[in-house]
Amino acid sequence: MNGWMGRIVKFDLGSMTQETVAVGDAIRRQYLGGRGLGVKLYSELCSSSIDPLADDNALIFMTGPLTGTLMTSGRYQVISRSPLTGTICDSSSGGNFGAALKGAGIDGLIIRGRAAKPVYLSVHDGQVEAHDASAFWGLDTQRTQKGIQAEAGSKTSVACIGPAGETRVIFAAIMNDKDRAAGRGGMGAIMGSKNLKAIAAGGSQPVAIADPEGYKTMAARLDRIVDKNPVTGKSLQVLGTSVLVNIINAHGMFPTENFRRGVFNDAEGTSGEKIAETLLQRQSSCYKCPIGCGRTTRTRDKNGEGPEYETVWAFGAHLGISDLTAITEANYACNELGLDTITMGSTLGCAMELSETGAWKESLRWGEAGKLRDWVTDTAYRRGIGAELALGSKRLAAKYGRPELAMQVKGMEIPAYDPRGAQGMALSYATSNRGGCHMRAYMIAPEILGHPVFLDRFSTAGKAELVALFQDVSSVVDSAVLCRFLQFAVGISTFTEMLRVVTGLDFSDEELMTIGRRIYTLERLFNNRAGFGRGDDTLPPRFFNEEFQTGSSRHRLVRLEEMLDDYYAVRGWDADGQPLPRTLAELGL
Amino acid sequence: MASRCRERWRSWGFNLAGKIAVKFYGLMRLRLRTAAIEISGDGLTIMTLLGLAEEKTGQSFLDELLDKDKGLLTGTIILVNGENIRLGQGLQTRVEAGDSVALFSPAGGG
Repeated sequence: MNGWMGRIVKFDLGSMTQETVAVGDAIRRQYLGGRGLGVKLYSELCSSSIDPLADDNALIFMTGPLTGTLMTSGRYQVISRSPLTGTICDSSSGGNFGAALKGAGIDGLIIRGRAAKPVYLSVHDGQVEAHDASAFWGLDTQRTQKGIQAEAGSKTSVACIGPAGETRVIFAAIMNDKDRAAGRGGMGAIMGSKNLKAIAAGGSQPVAIADPEGYKTMAARLDRIVDKNPVTGKSLQVLGTSVLVNIINAHGMFPTENFRRGVFNDAEGTSGEKIAETLLQRQSSCYKCPIGCGRTTRTRDKNGEGPEYETVWAFGAHLGISDLTAITEANYACNELGLDTITMGSTLGCAMELSETGAWKESLRWGEAGKLRDWVTDTAYRRGIGAELALGSKRLAAKYGRPELAMQVKGMEIPAYDPRGAQGMALSYATSNRGGCHMRAYMIAPEILGHPVFLDRFSTAGKAELVALFQDVSSVVDSAVLCRFLQFAVGISTFTEMLRVVTGLDFSDEELMTIGRRIYTLERLFNNRAGFGRGDDTLPPRFFNEEFQTGSSRHRLVRLEEMLDDYYAVRGWDADGQPLPRTLAELGL
Repeated sequence: MASRCRERWRSWGFNLAGKIAVKFYGLMRLRLRTAAIEISGDGLTIMTLLGLAEEKTGQSFLDELLDKDKGLLTGTIILVNGENIRLGQGLQTRVEAGDSVALFSPAGGG
């Protein structure tokens, strides 16, 4: 078999047994791998009412047909029902772990059950083995990775949880290859609920390539294209993702103090330009990635990776904090403890507003940088106010009677682009299958950055079609599996060609778009069964009722209702957001 | 960008001579080692302003913003008082004394 390794293992931690899961050629072609195949397999194994932290829930680690092949292919996806949102969720991470899983001879690993005591799994030559992890339980993600590598081999790639996953914080991350994170949606809590501390993968099984000559040509072509592109060949390398700080702030949509303002006066001091001048030691790259957007940084006392744009915002402008060192060290803490930086920071912003309004008696104040690291640590261990912060913003705000102060969609916190400044991004947040996430349809690309074309950010015209299209392309990229940043340089036809040379299958652009649509609709079906409908495809009331008074997004509100019906029509869903029978028939669902 | 108010003032004979603020972001800032300069002028097109900015800084930077045909690169963002010139007259958009022009070379992230 070309591209795929042809082996997916299901491992039951309760009975410590494993079996191979048969996946037919037709299913592979319909869902590719990664997110798509993961969601397909998950939907067949688990009901939409399953408790995400129950023993019986499945947690699926998936690679795709392109994993371990051409550039940016070291990534992997983790799929399950999210304990944060209750929706279907896939969480993506870079590094080498995806390529290592394929090197170990498998396309994916389905984990069910709960181990009687802490374990880690090792994968080698297509076999999965469980090992005692009692010695690693309680350790942070860095010590865990080093400790397991000492046992399993220094070339082994390790994905693990930290204390936050062990205490089942519902936004705990899975960390791999030092500081790469499957951050969003609380997949780390599911590992914790299974007493699964880590997975170690390694090996040198090659991925079979259908067209070796075409592969070489494609590799050389990608090198040229990515190198020549000003975003992938220069900006991301030199300035990382935080180059966005000044750009988004200049557009008056850099969420400040829990989305109450769109301009952060101290943005310059937390920008990618400032990081490059001060904390940056060197850039870092994932497997076969010439871009190297990662930032290896050093503060006076510590070193680590980050901060990325979303994290700079979450611990910076969102909290009124301009101390770049404090922001960076809070990022390091999240990496070590295994927490999603976006939900952590956003929850703190919600807590600060709750505190300011008097709804919550705890004293958390805007701009209080000195306590940031303690708040993060306390959240991971669920101690003191950390036990409350571990609820995430939706549950915290509801508990104190002000649900509208949680800046979330379907329970997932919205990241660093205020939707009042970009109508397409607003629709993207509202209709995202995993909640308030920017990665389903990154409408910031056309609405702010001008990629691949420039669109008027305040117009709603045509946005429904484009959001659906972007969602479908993203589903393909997450299922192939590749890095989204490649999309700044190439489009769908390049992905089609990459899949062709690797798998030998005669994919067309149209077929890939149908695959993307199939995946998105399957996810929607799961969410519908879990009780999500039109009423959940919305945003917090602040975005409909409160205008900014300053900045270039002032006096603007989200006009979701102008787009939502069109979006459902484009998708072939009814007015309640349920896929129509003819849509299901077209997609073979 | 020409405001009606300013045009009216000029038609009444007021002298609006002053400075246009030009701010550099991203790769240009690292190259030029400066965050902002001021250019004297009024009613200049962006294209003219960029040429004057190169003269004043003594370094070329237009390759970060424009293609070889002197058109905007895909992804270049130029804001005049927060408004993208692509929604106006592009490089022919006129700026006035007192305006603030922000220059961003193509960037991405997420």
